[in-house]
Amino acid sequence: MAEKKFVLIFSQQQASSPVTFRLAKEYDIEVNILRAEIDERGGQLIVAMTGRGEEVDRAVAYLERSGVQVRELDRFVVRDEARCTDCSMCVSICPVKAFSLDTATWSVMLDQDRCVACGLCVDACPPGALRRGRETPGPIRT
Amino acid sequence: MSKSYEEINSKIERGDAVVLTADEFKAVVQENGAESAAREVDVVTTGTFGAMCSSGAFINFGHAEPPIKMTKVWLNDVPAYTGLAAVDAYIGATELREGDGLDYSGAHVIEDLVAGKAVRLRATAYGTDCYPRKDVDTHISLRTVNQAFLFNPRNMYQNYAVATNSSDRTLYTYMGKLLPRHGNATYCSAGQLSPLLNDPHLRTIGLGTRIFLGGGIGYVSWEGTQFKTNVPERNGVPAAAARALAVIGDLKQMTPEHIRALYFTKYGCSLGVGIGVPIPILDEEVARAAGVTDDQIFAPLLDYAVQSRNRKPMMEVSYAQLRSGIIDIDGREVRTSGLSSYKKALAISRELKEWILQRKFYLSRPVDTFPGERAQRPLDVRPATEA
Repeated sequence: MAEKKFVLIFSQQQASSPVTFRLAKEYDIEVNILRAEIDERGGQLIVAMTGRGEEVDRAVAYLERSGVQVRELDRFVVRDEARCTDCSMCVSICPVKAFSLDTATWSVMLDQDRCVACGLCVDACPPGALRRGRETPGPIRT
Repeated sequence: MSKSYEEINSKIERGDAVVLTADEFKAVVQENGAESAAREVDVVTTGTFGAMCSSGAFINFGHAEPPIKMTKVWLNDVPAYTGLAAVDAYIGATELREGDGLDYSGAHVIEDLVAGKAVRLRATAYGTDCYPRKDVDTHISLRTVNQAFLFNPRNMYQNYAVATNSSDRTLYTYMGKLLPRHGNATYCSAGQLSPLLNDPHLRTIGLGTRIFLGGGIGYVSWEGTQFKTNVPERNGVPAAAARALAVIGDLKQMTPEHIRALYFTKYGCSLGVGIGVPIPILDEEVARAAGVTDDQIFAPLLDYAVQSRNRKPMMEVSYAQLRSGIIDIDGREVRTSGLSSYKKALAISRELKEWILQRKFYLSRPVDTFPGERAQRPLDVRPATEA
């Protein structure tokens, strides 16, 4: 079983189709919705899909056939190691505990697997060491 | 038994001084007691790295041809104060760039200079018989200017508040982003590594004390602004913001890892400064004070939703609790963040130790001591007759 994270971008017409239901029912994919946004132009979902490798690939192919734009996300937040001062401001801001303070080295650790691309840490970082990854959508649609 | 500054310096000179970082020294005090530690150890090195807003630099640019008496000065579009002689200016850390946003400031200019970058200098003047020129637009760097020294009126605060937010909205403060309904709490002291918490009544630190400042050698130049002594103590250590020091040092010796511009969203800018202070272990009393550990040092938790200078502490928390990552507020687990980098504080205490062991740095006896008692005054709106 593998978990991969994707941004799904829907047009206004597609926004009402029950995509996540089909992914679960027909492709046997466990879908965890990390973020969902909708406005007059359509919608955007950030999801984690868990399934066997080929099932995830088939599910992505199905989404693309349906006209949904699919982009895989690896790194939501990129840290500039040279600017980071290891102050730990990000640690208490992150709602999913992707940041932690290692009490052996007092370094701030970032676990990309936990990150859900909320972006709350980005404007909380005093030295400006955190930014959104290239693939990571902004708070509203990119 | 006691040691003198001269004895300690001659041991450093001979290469026999025992120098420990603050965290190493605490382990020795816990194991062998303060009396034994005072006999065995000569110097303890402390460190801190945090946002120190009351910071800035004096720069002398050199004279243009024909010369100018600058009346307005901008460095990368950040205004600098030049109500001084012709080509002297002071660039303050929190001064913002004119025109756009809150995210570029004097702190960024100082960081750029320390990083060796060129900075645009613009100046205007009214022109005089001796200084005919009325404007100049050029570039400077630390290689082109005469003196450039950091002169910070208030640094290395002895302890500070812990911030939280009881309101329903996120607050953007100099203590960072405070989440609604006590969603987090932020603190800003290196605790047991912090210089003034290891010498709480300033027995060894005073006017002229040689220190590590921003990666170079600096000096304590005065009591810090808002220096005060009348705060509660726990275990012999102030349990709130108390003393602070003014410091001075050559910007040309400093390094980007110890001088870092900081931007607090919707608040403004500050300068991250790294400072280390050596504490000569003159006697058992000095040793006992420097043996203090995070579980014995307390700070007041303040609600930053209260927009008043008279915030009442909600409770006191220890740095051991704060550094564990979680404190308890009204029975709820609240996550904590530091604004002060413990990792950098440790690195500074180690670097200063190395300097002393390599005989690049000797201890200095203070030229004078700072006040034993001092209260902080508020600013009230008053007529001239009451001032």
